[in-house]
Amino acid sequence: MYDFTYQKPSSIADAVKLLAEPEAKALAGGQTFIPVLKQRLNKPSTLVDLAGLGLAGIKAEGDKITIGAMTTHGAIAASPEIKKAIPGLSMMAGWIGDTQVRHCGTMGGSLANNDPSACYPAAVLALNATIVTDKRRIGADEYFQGMFTTALATDELITSIEFALPVEKSAYEKFRNPASRYAMVGVFVAKSAAGVRVAVTGASQNGVFRHTEMEQALSGNWSPDAIAHIKTPPGGLNSDIHGSAEYRAHLITVMAKRAVAAAS
Amino acid sequence: MDAIVGQPLDRVDGRLKVTGGARYAAEFPVPGVVHAVLVQSSVAAGEIVAIDTSAAEGMPGVLAVITPENAEKLQADKGGEQVVSRPTLQDMQVLYNGQHVAIVVADTLDRAQAAASALKLTYKQDEAVTTMDSALNTAYRPKHFRGGARSPDSNRGDADAAFDAAAVKVDATYRTPIEHHNPMEPHATIARWDGDRVTVWTATQGISGAQHTLATLFGIPPANVRVICPYVGGGFGCKGSTWPPATLTAMAARKVGRPVKLSLTRRQMFTSNGYRPRTVQKVKLAADAGGKLVAIRHDGMSQMSMPSLGEFAEPVGLATEMLYSCPNVAVTHRLVGVNAPLPTYMRAPGEASGVFALESAMDELAVALRIDPVELRLRNYADGDEHEDKPFSLKNLRECYRQGAEAFGWSQRNPAPRSMRDGRVLIGWGMATSTYPANRRPAEALVRLQADGSVVAGSGTQDLGTGTYTVMTQVIADELGVSPRRVRFVLGDSTLPPAPGSGGSTTVASVSPAVQAACAAARQKLFSLILADPQAAGLTSADLRLANGVVLAPARRFPLSQVLARAGLEYIEGRGKTEGPPGGHSLHSFGAQFAEVRVDPDLGEIRVSRYVGAFDAGRILNAKTGRSQLIGGITYGIGMALLEETATDAETGRYVNADLAEYLVPVHPDVPLIRTIFVAGEDPVLDPLGARGIGELPMVGVAPAIANAVYHATGVRVRDLPIRIEDVLG
Ligand SMILES: Cc1cc2nc3c(=O)[nH]c(=O)nc-3n(C[C@H](O)[C@H](O)[C@H](O)COP(=O)(O)OP(=O)(O)OC[C@H]3O[C@@H](n4cnc5c(N)ncnc54)[C@H](O)[C@@H]3O)c2cc1C
Repeated sequence: MYDFTYQKPSSIADAVKLLAEPEAKALAGGQTFIPVLKQRLNKPSTLVDLAGLGLAGIKAEGDKITIGAMTTHGAIAASPEIKKAIPGLSMMAGWIGDTQVRHCGTMGGSLANNDPSACYPAAVLALNATIVTDKRRIGADEYFQGMFTTALATDELITSIEFALPVEKSAYEKFRNPASRYAMVGVFVAKSAAGVRVAVTGASQNGVFRHTEMEQALSGNWSPDAIAHIKTPPGGLNSDIHGSAEYRAHLITVMAKRAVAAAS
Repeated sequence: MDAIVGQPLDRVDGRLKVTGGARYAAEFPVPGVVHAVLVQSSVAAGEIVAIDTSAAEGMPGVLAVITPENAEKLQADKGGEQVVSRPTLQDMQVLYNGQHVAIVVADTLDRAQAAASALKLTYKQDEAVTTMDSALNTAYRPKHFRGGARSPDSNRGDADAAFDAAAVKVDATYRTPIEHHNPMEPHATIARWDGDRVTVWTATQGISGAQHTLATLFGIPPANVRVICPYVGGGFGCKGSTWPPATLTAMAARKVGRPVKLSLTRRQMFTSNGYRPRTVQKVKLAADAGGKLVAIRHDGMSQMSMPSLGEFAEPVGLATEMLYSCPNVAVTHRLVGVNAPLPTYMRAPGEASGVFALESAMDELAVALRIDPVELRLRNYADGDEHEDKPFSLKNLRECYRQGAEAFGWSQRNPAPRSMRDGRVLIGWGMATSTYPANRRPAEALVRLQADGSVVAGSGTQDLGTGTYTVMTQVIADELGVSPRRVRFVLGDSTLPPAPGSGGSTTVASVSPAVQAACAAARQKLFSLILADPQAAGLTSADLRLANGVVLAPARRFPLSQVLARAGLEYIEGRGKTEGPPGGHSLHSFGAQFAEVRVDPDLGEIRVSRYVGAFDAGRILNAKTGRSQLIGGITYGIGMALLEETATDAETGRYVNADLAEYLVPVHPDVPLIRTIFVAGEDPVLDPLGARGIGELPMVGVAPAIANAVYHATGVRVRDLPIRIEDVLG
């Protein structure tokens, strides 16, 4: 790590002010950012710890569930409200990394980071959630802009994420990287007022994407058979020592089928 | 008293280990210690043309920047045990990416790291050959195969003619990848000079080897080098030689005049202390219609570094020479040099990779012949070693097949591929033979019988986590009639009587005879003292028996405390010195490996779901540590079969997965309940206890048993390790 100044503001306004400094960076659960610092891949002037802003918590109202940006994966997985209203989201949070990661890592941190192998982007995109920041509300389709790239400005803070209810069906399936448990391919399927949406993470070099061919097929017939024939072209998919682009393309169909079956 | 040897005694160092009290090389509190960091080349071939140390030298706390320009001149080590022959940091030539090109010393680790990254090296880059497969046409014959003890090529009968004429044939090429040992404890060294004497705390599998190598390199007598290593956090071969990091630490300590510590990072463990080289093996088998082997040909190539670094050839064909009865056998070993670090021994070197090829080919032959794989092996059972033309000292392999097959339920196997299922999941059953030579080398030990009846004993051996402390404690307990709790066995210090390096599963068979001899010598001295006493009139040593600190004789007893007090002694010391194994026999252990895999037909995901290994390994001195060795070895084999592979970036010659997130090793969900069987039998030749080493045997044959099971489950024959999920999707 390089040296930095540590700040723990107690209001969003103070946090945003501190983040206006060019090399200042926000710190949430630290599950991505601390390793990055340790490897000296980033050299912030100030670390702005978001833990004092009161951004953790889950609120279920009639037509929506609001999850504070600092809510941990563990809290999301354990929430009875989420389990009831959006079982796929609960399932997804419970499969992230390991116990330690789930007790420190946050939903806001994961979405701000937008790792191409992260799980939340698939859930947020498939459920057409809204990212609420200190400045505005951003729809999921506009928010994700390619790997590690989002619509956020450098001094913009995610404060919460809103999921519209009811969600008729939801499920997530992922093929884990054997060491980290990140998604080699993860597919989130959902059916709600926004229609049928299928979001795929881990597979593409451009991060999370919607699989429109599968969405169309499932809109007519919500069953694994409806998408069994759909082949994703391997061009543009990730290829690494853990799996070729062709294998990832194959995984998309298998994971999507299993997710649909789980949500039926 | 019941024998202590053989019992499942808890490891005597277990408590120290789980409470953090066992001290590993990097943990010795040496006053005034300063820290070193290695700098490694970023190109794979060429020459360093300029080194700019000015920025690094000016940084706070920096004590020395040692490069080839100012490094102490070292003497080349011609000594026996070492794979590494080229002293480090002696010239500007770069032969692989990651070669050690400088060592930086500072008062703190952070400052040493900062200074190391401020060093500026300029290279003249040469064309590099980074992968073996692109250079197979440059293969050459090893010059010092097995240290010159064996020929790289062997012939019995005429394998080619017999192959051509045969009825049923298999002709296939098998490949195994580069693998890294990755022990939990990364290599570490602390060195401290006092004048021309140096003390080195280092993680090593051979304190004697380290002592002699360092003495040679620095031009001092071996007596001036003291090597201390009471605990090793796993070695698997990578701590068997004295690699550049240990040498450079000693060099740095001499330069700065203070103790220096160097601890490798996990990433550096991939470039600094060897690896199992990639192999490409062509195997030809031929049999008559009845399944009797008529020809075996095994042409093995293994990857090497550039030859000037040393030599290591993966001896893939040695098991092939003796495993089956066959009149026509030809084996060759070749090396392919590339711009890579020097490879070395890794758990079951040669056998692990060679038996993968041979036992996969045997499975292919069984399929071609429509003969059950176990039955095929029985039809070709070798009663003697046809290569050495000697009888085996003990061979219970038939029992291994029988007991293993029975425990596994092998008779229920439907031989057709893809025929066994559990719902959608494909089930496969596969088996393979295991073998590993039984080794023994000269060793010495000393034992002190103390007045209170307790025993202190020692030998300059090592405990890699395998149980040396525990097993030697048991041997002494039986020899001297004392409870294991009253025995303290010390090791890991070169001031103790010398013992061989711990490699090739030699420790138990080498050190326990020396310990026994030392016990016998001490007992003999004690008995002589007693017999010289007038109270012992009429007795002979045959009348005496030592138990719990008292020498018992008919109607008389001689407490040790009194005997010693009368003689004016604090203790009675016995020394033992024993030699290598007697000739005349072929010395090998054997085993039969049985694996069940479950393959998800949609994903190709492979899980080993059941495992049985039955082993013929002589007398087992501790049933618990012995079983742990078997489980560990089989787990290592599961890694070899399904997970482990170091990937090289062909462009730069750099390892791309040099960490434990990307270099996959088996974790709990990858390992099923492992059933292990020790087939009863004592080796009547190797050593007086009838014991053999078991560190390596259990991993041999695991990879082919799993590959054969994968074939049975899926109908896909994978000849290239590790087996990947893509391979079986078809
Ligand atoms: C071993 C391991 C396994 C993992 N496995 C998985 C997995 O299976 N699936 C998965 O999805 N993830 C996985 N992760 C990642 C984990 O989910 C992280 O928690 C997540 O990526 C980042 O969240 P964080 O709270 O730790 O954020 P941090 O690491 O603290 O921050 C990440 C980035 O987001 C920024 N940031 C944080 N909060 C905000 C905010 N509110 N507004 C704006 N910017 C913000 C930070 O400045 C930083 O750039 C794994 C991590 C580890 C270490």
